Amino acid sequence: MNLKFENKGETMVCRIDGDVDINTSPSIKKLFDKALAKKAAKMVVNLQGVNYVDSSGLATLVEILKNMRQYGGKLKLSNLSPKIKSLFDITKLDKLFEIASDEEEAIASFI
Amino acid sequence: MMEKDVVIKAENVTKRFGERVILNGISLEVCRGETFVIMGGSGCGKSTLLRHLIGALPPDSGKVYLLGKDLASLNEDEMDRVKKKIGMCFQSAALFDSMTVGENVSLPLREHTRLETHVIETVVKMKLELVGLRGFEGLMPSQLSGGMRKRVGLARAIAMDPEIMFYDEPTAGLDPIVAGVIDKLILDLSKKLSITSVVVTHDMKSVFSIADRVAMLYEGKALAVGAPDEIKKSENPMVRQFISGSPDGPIRFFQQKDDYLEHLMK
Amino acid sequence: MIERIGGIIISAGRHTYRMLSLLSQTCFWIAVGPFKRKFPKPEGVFSQMVFAGVDSLIIAFFVALFTGIVIAMQSAYQLSRFGANIYVAPMVSIGLARELGPVLTSLVVAGRVGAAIAAELGTMKVTEQIEALETMALNPVRFLVVPRFLALVVMLPCLVVFSDIIGIFGGFLVGVFNLHLNPYRYITFSFQFMLWKDVWTGLVKSAVFAMVISMIGCYMGLNTKGGAEGVGKSTTSSVVTSFILIILFDCILTGIFYFAKQ
Repeated sequence: MNLKFENKGETMVCRIDGDVDINTSPSIKKLFDKALAKKAAKMVVNLQGVNYVDSSGLATLVEILKNMRQYGGKLKLSNLSPKIKSLFDITKLDKLFEIASDEEEAIASFI
Repeated sequence: MMEKDVVIKAENVTKRFGERVILNGISLEVCRGETFVIMGGSGCGKSTLLRHLIGALPPDSGKVYLLGKDLASLNEDEMDRVKKKIGMCFQSAALFDSMTVGENVSLPLREHTRLETHVIETVVKMKLELVGLRGFEGLMPSQLSGGMRKRVGLARAIAMDPEIMFYDEPTAGLDPIVAGVIDKLILDLSKKLSITSVVVTHDMKSVFSIADRVAMLYEGKALAVGAPDEIKKSENPMVRQFISGSPDGPIRFFQQKDDYLEHLMK
Repeated sequence: MIERIGGIIISAGRHTYRMLSLLSQTCFWIAVGPFKRKFPKPEGVFSQMVFAGVDSLIIAFFVALFTGIVIAMQSAYQLSRFGANIYVAPMVSIGLARELGPVLTSLVVAGRVGAAIAAELGTMKVTEQIEALETMALNPVRFLVVPRFLALVVMLPCLVVFSDIIGIFGGFLVGVFNLHLNPYRYITFSFQFMLWKDVWTGLVKSAVFAMVISMIGCYMGLNTKGGAEGVGKSTTSSVVTSFILIILFDCILTGIFYFAKQ
């Protein structure tokens, strides 16, 4: 699992590589907590390099979203593989997250 | 035909309890993603077979492979790693009655992962939503009905996102509607999350609604293995009798050995 | 006949062996657990400590108080003949610290806590909960036995100290109100003759009894078979076996302390 944060203009972009599962979720959560300590207002999480997300991974993303919403930040997801997209559908989380097809679209959609 | 990815394999498994032979050389294979149903009458060794497949009982002879590993050769740590990838739904739900519903579901996560409490709470909510019991976290198992307990047991079993789910009589003792709900849940889990499922049951209705393949057990042997349609068309008189549920046929209901009238006159 | 006696000996041997193996597994998890991040949660141990210790205070209080009163009266019956009434005080305090405090408190706790452990684990066993723990890769010994074991080994000696104090107070009541001894002298005499050894041998005993009670309770519970009737049977046999073993170990330990001095 590999995590990279990058600033693109006003938006913070995070690219995750590898699985987001029970073993990696705790450290992903910690890295996000650190990155969001400065209360970034806009964040895009690019899941291009992720081919498996389990429920602890989903829950971690929900927690991050919850934290950001508390201070008025916005979070978007992009580049979900069809498999992961269907996982979001089953768990009804597609209604909770704003999901864009790619990074540029996600950044552009912040106004 | 897809290439076969065998996740469970039993080779010639035999088990005796004292004099009684419970399993008499059973071999079977379950592939990834399929729903495999083991059916048979009471006392035919279904549950015993299930306990062999999850490594809870060691076979007298024969071998069981789970996720490609020979269970007999594993040490405790390796066995634990395999166990974390399987989920088991018990006949009696087996909820811990000193813990609330939420604590029951979160127990494996609290014990086996380093997830934060908030994240675990979110996972619990997601799992309870899947079984239709969100909002019941704070109740004790004793406050739930039988069907609800089974669904909580199911939520607990899938808390760790297992690759294989085992169900021991998931619909036994439930009314037809709840039984239908449970069947649908099993189907949803296996189809949507592509979990391999092994179901032990004698409920014919659920057999034909959920199964990809069926094995019929009789006297410790697998009588017939195949797709539900094949089983339905089977010529085997014992299989026919079991499906139709008729009291007359080659399967004897009376298990006494000596003659009734003689026994009376002794 | 010989066959039957042989059978009993063999089964007793097998139980002893399996109980010792449960004890060794428990010790293994206590020793290794902290390094494998698999130590029982403090809350779990704490709630067991509350159940085993704090909730036993009332019954321990009454048992100790009446025991203190009885020893004081019984010894006064003899000592008054020699006009040595004041020696009731050390009689009570030393008798309690060395023997009656640990043994009676342990018997009470065996009846209350040991039986509860056996019944709880027995119920868990017959309702598939133990099996459920195992399929979740949670070792029942680590998860259920270790917290109960630790809680009792910590709490029983504490209870014994409490019982000793209450018992001495019971003796004090008799000494002051019935034998009309000077309260101040009674207290001084109570502790003047007491050696450290009297106290720590009592505490060592109670720690051993705690191990006996928790091990027997857990062993009987985990080996329960056959529904509600089985739970009843294992509860009964856990109490009976604990009682016998507590007295047996008391005899052995007293012997060791007695002969070690010479």
